[in-house]
Amino acid sequence: MTELLQGNRACVQAAIASGCRFFAGYPITPSSEIAESMARLLPEAGGVFMQMEDEMASLGAVLGASLAGSPAMTATSGPGFSLMQEHIGYAALAEIPCVVVDVMRGGPSTGLPTRPSQGDVMQARWGTHGDHPVVALAPASVSEIYELTSLAFALSERLRLPALVLYDEVVGHLREPVDPGSLRLSRAERRRPTVEPAAYRPYAPDADLVPPLADFGTGYRFHVTGLTHDEAGRPTEEPAVVGALHRRLQEKVARARDDVVSFAGIGLEDAEVVVVAYGIAARAAERAVTDARSRGERLGLFRPRTLWPFPDVELRAVAERAHTIVVAEMNLGQMLLEVERVVAGRARVEACLRADGTPLTPEDVAHAVASAAGALA
Amino acid sequence: MGARSGSVLVVGVGGQGVVLSSAVAADAARRCGFDVKQSEVHGMSQRGGVVTSHLRYGDAVRSPLIAAGEADAIVALEWSEALRALPALRPGGTLIVSVERILPPSAFLDRLHGAVRYPPIAVGLLRGTVPDVRACDATAVAARAGDRRAMNTVLLGVLSRVTPFSEPAWDDAIAANVPPKALAANRAAFAAGRDLQPDDARPALARVEPSDEGGPARRSAASLEIVDAWCKGETCAICVRSCPEYCLGFDPDAIAVRVTRADACTACGLCELLCPDFAIVVHPAVPA
Amino acid sequence: MSGIEYRDRLRRQMLPHILCPGCGHGIVLKALLRAARSLELDWDRTVFVAGIGCSSRLVGYIDGCTLHTTHGRALTFATGMKLARPELTVIVITGDGDGLAIGGNHLIHAARRDVDLTCLLLNNETYGMTGGQAAPTAEPGAISTTTPRGARERSFDACALAVAAGASFVARGATSLPLELDALIARGIAHRGFSFLEIASDCPEYFGRYNELGRGPEMLQLQRRRLDGVDRTLAAKRSLRPRPAEGPPPLRTGVLHERPA
Repeated sequence: MTELLQGNRACVQAAIASGCRFFAGYPITPSSEIAESMARLLPEAGGVFMQMEDEMASLGAVLGASLAGSPAMTATSGPGFSLMQEHIGYAALAEIPCVVVDVMRGGPSTGLPTRPSQGDVMQARWGTHGDHPVVALAPASVSEIYELTSLAFALSERLRLPALVLYDEVVGHLREPVDPGSLRLSRAERRRPTVEPAAYRPYAPDADLVPPLADFGTGYRFHVTGLTHDEAGRPTEEPAVVGALHRRLQEKVARARDDVVSFAGIGLEDAEVVVVAYGIAARAAERAVTDARSRGERLGLFRPRTLWPFPDVELRAVAERAHTIVVAEMNLGQMLLEVERVVAGRARVEACLRADGTPLTPEDVAHAVASAAGALA
Repeated sequence: MGARSGSVLVVGVGGQGVVLSSAVAADAARRCGFDVKQSEVHGMSQRGGVVTSHLRYGDAVRSPLIAAGEADAIVALEWSEALRALPALRPGGTLIVSVERILPPSAFLDRLHGAVRYPPIAVGLLRGTVPDVRACDATAVAARAGDRRAMNTVLLGVLSRVTPFSEPAWDDAIAANVPPKALAANRAAFAAGRDLQPDDARPALARVEPSDEGGPARRSAASLEIVDAWCKGETCAICVRSCPEYCLGFDPDAIAVRVTRADACTACGLCELLCPDFAIVVHPAVPA
Repeated sequence: MSGIEYRDRLRRQMLPHILCPGCGHGIVLKALLRAARSLELDWDRTVFVAGIGCSSRLVGYIDGCTLHTTHGRALTFATGMKLARPELTVIVITGDGDGLAIGGNHLIHAARRDVDLTCLLLNNETYGMTGGQAAPTAEPGAISTTTPRGARERSFDACALAVAAGASFVARGATSLPLELDALIARGIAHRGFSFLEIASDCPEYFGRYNELGRGPEMLQLQRRRLDGVDRTLAAKRSLRPRPAEGPPPLRTGVLHERPA
């Protein structure tokens, strides 16, 4: 049944429908509707809602609940996301599934609490210290928030990592007609050990490089630590063991890459100029692209749904055909860096950036495309 | 090592003054016009962990670290650290060592692999592989010079005989680096070390002899189960010092505590309750 | 000795532990294991959660479900775990830096919520793992690497803090009174609601050395004197340093506060 659903509410419904049974959070604009909806809906689904004393506590509680067997998530915005970075790193190293939703607002610092931004995309990739895998999804519509939140649960449980969902304030507060029943839910399944408790090694990986995870309190006794550890979970500084662990953490995501990475495209088959955009900026770009194509201009849109891992192979193929790539985003050039790295000279890369607390418009994109074409001419 | 370049490795246990010694030597080198690189690795240094400092000097030094077999001299403030550092010494190099026995945490952890004994302090034995060993009980020398804590400076005095740094440079370096209140003691310690005749080594510990006093052997009230590999030895000594009957003690060549007066034990259990290392279990004797 | 076997609860392959010779923390772990045994806790339904620091390393030596989390945040993990799975017995081990400085906010909120957790805060008045810096429990005058001229700030009374924040069980134990410690920990675990235990432990390697208090045996003795009210202040233990005008009261052990959760 179609209903007029707000983005943040769609996030909550998708999480619960995907098996989320624990939420801990701290109020912060523009994500607070997620906590508020969770407070009402989660207990009805047999889950637990906790308002914690800060964002570090929120993600800590989520990780504790996850280890006890509950699929769990938290939601926040820029300043809170910064505070969560330590626990995101902990979850990456200790391999604890969880979902973190970051509804992006203008920054840095308190910045523009009620205004949209896409300024957290590099924080999502590099915010915590050390090398670690990252899965970050970037929905551009209410229905996509629903589908990608669900996918985030599936990926976090399958790969034993923190899965991030990043969208901006505009998408979070957007209300669109959605029929949740018609949307794709992903199955979130945690692989639990099949060996006897005495033989269980919490960090001994299966063939897909992901170790099965036992729930605390089910007869499996094991140690979980944020120290670099061996397969039995014991802290170690042995270079060979340390190096192997770090490589496995990266490699488990690399192996699953094709199931994780996705993007949407318009006109990529013949586009000479391709706009790369995600989230609400992609909605503006889509309008600019479809308008241009209706005038016969060979303009295309490349819209990553996964920011991390970035759809690099796919964009590189596009760049082989196009002569210009225009990156449109609401920051001063973050994914621009990644696009330049991926395109590596195959096409010209131009920027269409806005960081003034207002969304990019189709006119911004059209203007950037026109000036890129002009510069070429 | 009289050449225009050289490498000195200073090793010891946290709290002994490894880093300060190395800094003084580096300063002396600098005052003599050398280019100097000094780097240090403190493990859990102040918790009695291992500390090493690399000092390289020359007309122009690029790499700060000393590779295996490249040290012209090793200055070891502790005996087992000297043995551990030996692979760094070049053939013909000089080992300057104090016959101190300080149990570092690594001594406990290594025991996972079976090393539960402290290596015997045997300077003569070492001469077989390292001809130039200059050993002394630096703490005793320093104590005679005025302050036992200046033991590291005693060893610098010994080192000054094999480095090309002038005596005034050493003196200035000491003055610039040690706290003013300790300067006189350190100067005296340096002089004592410089004038030292090697082989002042004496065993650091007296052996604890089991007591056999008291006529016919009494039946022990308990047997003590001691896990040697877990005991942290004389640096802890909580059990030894809290036993009301003085039943426990240490051997010079072992790490773990020993029962020295079994017949005096009353099975009170204090040693077990207070042992922080899970190393003692008191099994009360079953009444006959 | 008193017939309570605890060694089967140790991860033997992890021993000897990394703590310094004479450190009091091992005495606390032994008391905890004995208390757990005396309560006949279901070991598969018991989880030990810790933060970062010397005391927090203790959980690694327990052969059970053990979670070594981030600095100061153990109580948050424990809260989430307990709420997600209420049948678990969740025991938190923290230190004075971990639990009162970086994790102080989590401690007061855990006490306020009165969730059924047991929190052992091992107080050795210093940051041991990082090299002996001043902790918020260091009394005025205490020497540390970051207070070379003596601490000037006031110190926390952890138990008073826990009572004020709403904990329904607050007790203080000490390593020099190991049998009382067993009993207090057992009562804390049995209590329904947030039970907070501050446990006086000693750091001979840093706090003892910097403040000239001797090593393990001497520090245990000083701790007893302080518990008995013989020495009222840290300064009294050190003849060389002036006694502050107003020192803290003698440490009192036992159950300090208890109410139904």
